[in-house]
Amino acid sequence: MPPRAQSASARAKQFGGPGRHELPREFVAIHKRRRIMDAIAELTAEQGYEATKIGDIVRHAGVARKTLYDNFEGKEEVFLAAFDASVEEVMGRVEKACAGFDGEWEGRIEAGLGAFLAYVAEEPARARMCMVEAMSATPAATRRYDDAVQGFVELTGRSVPPSDQLPETIEETLVGGVAWIVHQKIRRHEADTAMELLAELAEFMLAPYRGVAEAEQGRVHA
Amino acid sequence: MERLPRGRHGLSPEFVAQNQRDRLLAALAEILYERGYEETTVAMVGKRAGVSKSDFYKRYESKDACFLAAYDDVVERIRETVRVACAGKGEWAARALDALEALLVFIVDDPARARLVLVEGLRAGKGVYDRYQEALQSFVPYLRDSAPAPAGGPRPPEATDEAVVGGIASLLARRMLAGEIEPVGEFLPEIGEFTLTPYLGAAEARRIISER
Repeated sequence: MPPRAQSASARAKQFGGPGRHELPREFVAIHKRRRIMDAIAELTAEQGYEATKIGDIVRHAGVARKTLYDNFEGKEEVFLAAFDASVEEVMGRVEKACAGFDGEWEGRIEAGLGAFLAYVAEEPARARMCMVEAMSATPAATRRYDDAVQGFVELTGRSVPPSDQLPETIEETLVGGVAWIVHQKIRRHEADTAMELLAELAEFMLAPYRGVAEAEQGRVHA
Repeated sequence: MERLPRGRHGLSPEFVAQNQRDRLLAALAEILYERGYEETTVAMVGKRAGVSKSDFYKRYESKDACFLAAYDDVVERIRETVRVACAGKGEWAARALDALEALLVFIVDDPARARLVLVEGLRAGKGVYDRYQEALQSFVPYLRDSAPAPAGGPRPPEATDEAVVGGIASLLARRMLAGEIEPVGEFLPEIGEFTLTPYLGAAEARRIISER
């Protein structure tokens, strides 16, 4: 998509026209949006989605109720926006980690998994929001969660050597298995030690692909 | 499920109560399947089951209570299905595949009940989550205690058993959420290979599946 042409008023703002204060105001607005999304992540992690009320969110974020409603339709939209932002961030980190291992799939999977677990450890509240609360918050959140899983399934598929010997659903079961282990760790309030899972989960993910690689090597040697 | 005759029928109150409970659980699974948890009401379930509202509340205190009872009932059915399949004779791998096959047959035969456990269980809130986790955990010993180690290799890492069970549950739940029930019946080679590989190695897993 071509970049949108800048509107005259936007240009005016940029060059310090009548809206001299617009830039910082925009910055403040983004910052407030961010605070609202952080607040819902922290609150739902502590007390669950159902128990979290709009009043709690605005108090926690330190913004006016009106500000929340200027930015979001309601609680569900705040939750979904916060979910999307977190998934985008973790996905970006995982993709970046994978990209560092060109042509070396074992290192790539391990690096991607490591980046994912590091995010969970660094951002336990967001991890809980995405991997625990999102499953049950609302039907739309359940679908969003499923879409995010699909994103990781596809990324895994792109990161491993192509093979027609493995089950078609192999990435779905592997990603689902990893998610279940991490989900339980978060539930036990042990997200901060998520990195401890790296060696075991990497082994779990790599085993099927290694099996195929070895079988193919064997055929070449035979 | 058959409704009981009206009026004087000489059936014991216990029999009538049990029959009503069975009908309510079956009706709840159907309505949930059609409409999801939020939209399902006590009135709909009672109507489908042919049980009056006042009788509903004699059997279950609320929609949630009825849901939990239905949940426990389905988990028990699935556990029994798997237990019977695993109790057969033969190698571990053959019994594991029998159990997976029985699970898939259960899902295709009764998608409403299967969805109740695999999809709605994660969505219906806190009380149910513990049951979901416990149900998944109850399949872990079939792997942890009975699966062999790969030839010449060590046992797979501790997390593997739970990851295998969780991975299968996740795949099945995703397909049920998408309304793709039919293909699930064809999943045996897929989830069979996924399950056997960590314990037998990929080559041996593929050989067993292809010979089945």
